[in-house]
Amino acid sequence: MKIGIVNYSLGNVGSVYSAFGFYGYDVFLVNRPEELEKYDVIVLAGVGNFNTAVLKLKHLHFWEQLNYEVNVKKKPVLGICLGMQLFADISYEGGENKGFGWIGGKVVKIEDHSTKVPHMGWDEIKPFDDKLFKGMQNNSFYYMHSYHFVPEDKGVTKAVTRYGDLEIVAAIRKDNIVGVQFHPEKSQGDGLRLLRNFLEF
Amino acid sequence: MYKRIIPIFLIKGKRLVKGTQFENLVDVGDPLSQAMIYDAQGADEIIVVDIDASREGRMINTGIINEMINRCRLPISAGGGIKSVKDALKCFEAGADKIVVNTSALLNPFLIKEMADEFGSQSVVVSVDVRKNSAGDYDIYAFSGKKKMGQDLKDHISMAIGQGAGEIIVTSIDREGTLSGFDRELYRRLEDITKVPIIASGGAGCYDDLVKIFTETNCDACAVGKMLFLRDYDIVKFKSYLKGKKIPVRDA
Repeated sequence: MKIGIVNYSLGNVGSVYSAFGFYGYDVFLVNRPEELEKYDVIVLAGVGNFNTAVLKLKHLHFWEQLNYEVNVKKKPVLGICLGMQLFADISYEGGENKGFGWIGGKVVKIEDHSTKVPHMGWDEIKPFDDKLFKGMQNNSFYYMHSYHFVPEDKGVTKAVTRYGDLEIVAAIRKDNIVGVQFHPEKSQGDGLRLLRNFLEF
Repeated sequence: MYKRIIPIFLIKGKRLVKGTQFENLVDVGDPLSQAMIYDAQGADEIIVVDIDASREGRMINTGIINEMINRCRLPISAGGGIKSVKDALKCFEAGADKIVVNTSALLNPFLIKEMADEFGSQSVVVSVDVRKNSAGDYDIYAFSGKKKMGQDLKDHISMAIGQGAGEIIVTSIDREGTLSGFDRELYRRLEDITKVPIIASGGAGCYDDLVKIFTETNCDACAVGKMLFLRDYDIVKFKSYLKGKKIPVRDA
């Protein structure tokens, strides 16, 4: 199984790469969209601004290729943090921008007066009996985000985290598409386990 | 949300150092080996700062960050001499999760906004070093405590948050390396303006210092240095003690 991490010059794909490398998986950084076809599994990470991410993916021609690999060829894809938010129909970060629309929903700012924003640090999740979370020790993962994903169909939500009065969607899954709001690559043992669970589907 | 325990790594050359009130530095080991040890013990993050970078007009050696990222599975913030979006990008490319700006945020107030626009607020940490003056107020210092600045502490932090800083770390130089406890008064004064997470730094010396910073202030995280490097403590012990005191910490 070959894992391709989309390298679209936005943030630290290096730590995602080294986390998959930890278990000895065949993992590669993918610099050109046409190379995606060689990989069995695609990982879309990224930090920063939604708008910037969309522009970069389009500019580098990853956008159409990703749509093809995920929608037509049904390859498994894992979105991490901003990567997962890109699956949505629309985001309000940096203006109003369209996402891939693979999972219906919108990305909105965390606005909750009982808490601080960004949502930063470790939080416990409540998993909904999903194989993505089997064998976890603490169910605690590292978050760093100011926007969150609100899916249209609640059925895609596979884990949530309570933050103040808000329930933040921590993980989503629909067919071949999996997304997590937290950073498994930064979440020590449980994070590595989650990456492994994803690959073992 | 769990309270975080963050080892803070001061880098001099290629070594990890620790001093008292930013002076009298001693070598406390190899940064990579130490990072791996604290990662294994369940530290919640690590902050790495090159203490000479700003004064020497260069930025932190990103090679050290890259080695840590490859070996550790926890978030790493990097700082030291980051003066531009381009410098910050080098740190992110090396794998840093957040960048820390201190002196450059004092010299160039537009920098924070530029970085937050490019990388998102969650990746921009503003660090402020302070000393208490004879009137009982706090003065801000730049260049690793070497130069007193004119900015008012609360104004500077409010400005930083307004410009998009996603987290603030405030270090009491008076307490740093003294093991005499955090300056809780300092953090209490900032409570009404910190709408973003705040990290206390300087003075952690015993278990109760950690308990008090979390029970008596609204700090979200605390930095630990000497206590960890030069005394008989580890992250596992910290967490089991804090848990016993009903403070929400993540299991190590």
